[in-house]
Amino acid sequence: MPALQRICYVEDDEDIQRIVRLALERIGGLTVDVVADPGTAIERMVAFQPDLVVLDWMMPGIDGPTLFRRMRDHPATRHLPVVFITAKASERELQELRALGAAGMLSKPFSPKDLPGQLRAIWNSLGADRPD
Amino acid sequence: MRSTATASQSTPAPAPAAGDAPLEARQLTADRAAQLYSQLPAGIVASVVLIVVAVYALRGSNYTWVVYGWSAVALAVTAVRAVLGWLYQRDRDRDDKAERWIRWLAVGALASGTLWGVLASLFFELQNDLEHLFILMVLGGVLVGGIAMYAASWSIYAVYGAPVVLPFTYGLMTHELELLRVFSPLVPMFYAACVGVAYRLNTLFLSGFRARRSFRKLNTEYVILNQRLERQLEELAQSHQQVEESGRKLALFVERSPVAVFELDPRGRALHVNPAAEALFGYAGNELDGHAIADLLFSPERRPDVLANWRTLLRDRAPITRLRETTPRRDGQNIVCEWSLTPLVNAQGRVISVIAQVRDVTQQLEAERLKQEFTSTLSHELRTPLTAILGALQLVNSGALGSASPEIQELTAVAERNGQRLLDLINDLLDLEKVESGKLAVELQAMRLDELVHEALTLNRAFAARYKVHLEAAGRLCDSLVRVDRRRMLQVLTNLVSNAAKFSPEGAVVEVTLEERGRQVRLAVHDRGAGIPAAFRSRVFTRFSQADMSLTREKGGTGLGLAICKRMVELMGGRIGFDDREGGGTTFWIDLPKDA
Repeated sequence: MPALQRICYVEDDEDIQRIVRLALERIGGLTVDVVADPGTAIERMVAFQPDLVVLDWMMPGIDGPTLFRRMRDHPATRHLPVVFITAKASERELQELRALGAAGMLSKPFSPKDLPGQLRAIWNSLGADRPD
Repeated sequence: MRSTATASQSTPAPAPAAGDAPLEARQLTADRAAQLYSQLPAGIVASVVLIVVAVYALRGSNYTWVVYGWSAVALAVTAVRAVLGWLYQRDRDRDDKAERWIRWLAVGALASGTLWGVLASLFFELQNDLEHLFILMVLGGVLVGGIAMYAASWSIYAVYGAPVVLPFTYGLMTHELELLRVFSPLVPMFYAACVGVAYRLNTLFLSGFRARRSFRKLNTEYVILNQRLERQLEELAQSHQQVEESGRKLALFVERSPVAVFELDPRGRALHVNPAAEALFGYAGNELDGHAIADLLFSPERRPDVLANWRTLLRDRAPITRLRETTPRRDGQNIVCEWSLTPLVNAQGRVISVIAQVRDVTQQLEAERLKQEFTSTLSHELRTPLTAILGALQLVNSGALGSASPEIQELTAVAERNGQRLLDLINDLLDLEKVESGKLAVELQAMRLDELVHEALTLNRAFAARYKVHLEAAGRLCDSLVRVDRRRMLQVLTNLVSNAAKFSPEGAVVEVTLEERGRQVRLAVHDRGAGIPAAFRSRVFTRFSQADMSLTREKGGTGLGLAICKRMVELMGGRIGFDDREGGGTTFWIDLPKDA
């Protein structure tokens, strides 16, 4: 089980991008590729080859679940584990996420200090049933 | 009931039985006495007149002094009889003593008859023809006049007449003149004829008495019946008026009510429709009257459900309230209405009609929807910038980006703390809104509450340490299973424990106990705080309430926590409450049913 190193983060809000990047790089020591435009996200993922993808739920144009479905349709991103970050956490949405096969869910507002640890915990919980 | 009571009061005492012989005899005697005494004044007047005439007629005869003496005695006897009559009239119990009064009257009659007999016996001593004629006239007069006087009792008449005729008859029988001797049997025959007439009159009196009596009885019954009838009529009129008044009142209520009201027969057809109902559904009253409401006001898809509810109502005969149904108005516009159906059940337990009250809740629902949408949007819009603010501050305060001056650290810490408070408030508001709109779903699963308690204590130790308060489980926690929503129960426990910590003095211990109480499990959080002021006790579980608002600033908290806890606990089938703790402080408890 390799350690978590590369994360692709898709988020339209610049301020949140900056905070998450700082938290993951400075506190978590991770390599982060932040994508502001969900339309180019799959291309960027193919190029960056992340271990884990973090998607914002609400984005203008293409929202998180839509992007997630597109990733599942693309052979190069089909296998990537996805963690959603959402401000709304209704039971219905949680069920929807599980049905989509999301690896995890973090609620907004998250604590940047704890974010790397939370992502690693999800990553490690996936370890048992991952082929690589 | 009033009318029943009155009716039973008006029932007359049982009437005397028709064959009540002693009573009838007493009444007969009383009636006879009254009849006899009523004739007495006329008899007395006639006696006085006759006595005066006799004195006048016989004053020139050779027996003048005898006549004077006789008249004195006769007047005295008449006076005694008058006194007797007067006494009788004054006696209040004369009807009860009727027999005695009749006896006295008989004595009077005997005395009076004897006096006339004595006068008649003078006939044989007198020489004058005119005087003879006078005596004969007096004799005939008193005999015939007596019949009228004593018609009510032939026996008294017989007693009266005997002394009148007997001395005279004897005188005739023993007279030297043969003519008179031959004439003598005629007198007793005349007497007998008179007694016969008196007897016949007596019989007439008796049948008269019976007729009077029957009439009186009938009359009494008629009067009683009449009174009863009158009373019943009066009561009926009163009831009618009351019914009419309450009917008018009810009609007014229904007519003026802003709520739509239908009266439906058991087959669901409109019997009566108020103006509000006409306005609500856009139909004129006559378009609704007599029509089945289910067919008229509900879409074909909803009809089976509506009819199922209707059958339940008729079967259970219990009201159904707040039934929400979407209904097309006559103009095609859909409205959402809340129906309350109340069956009117008669004494035999049959539903005679159903009162349906209908309230249009379309706008209310729309307002609720807008409120929810607003809350949901607001929460997102507020949380997004808060995520950035809190995230940035946390990063700065974590020191991962290098250290700032102590003043900057202090200020960023203040900013983070208050940002967190704002977030807590938004989260609480969202929770409360979810609970109140029924959107909060709880996923109940059977679990051990003691494990949850330990988890909550672990999670909140750091928080309690800020107030220098220690959290611990007191005694053995029971390991019963309860059915709760794990996340929500943890939220409730965190709320209670952190509250207890916040309001405890420094160095205090907050204890948590868990014990079985019959079919319940009681979880309790005990603190050593200042206790809950009396004035605040009733508002502990209402929103935005903290006993002392200055504490809100000092200790944090939104004043929503306990309101949310109460609703969540109730959603999980439990109860929440608090008691004063012995030795100071407060115990908040939650009772949850054990998982069967």
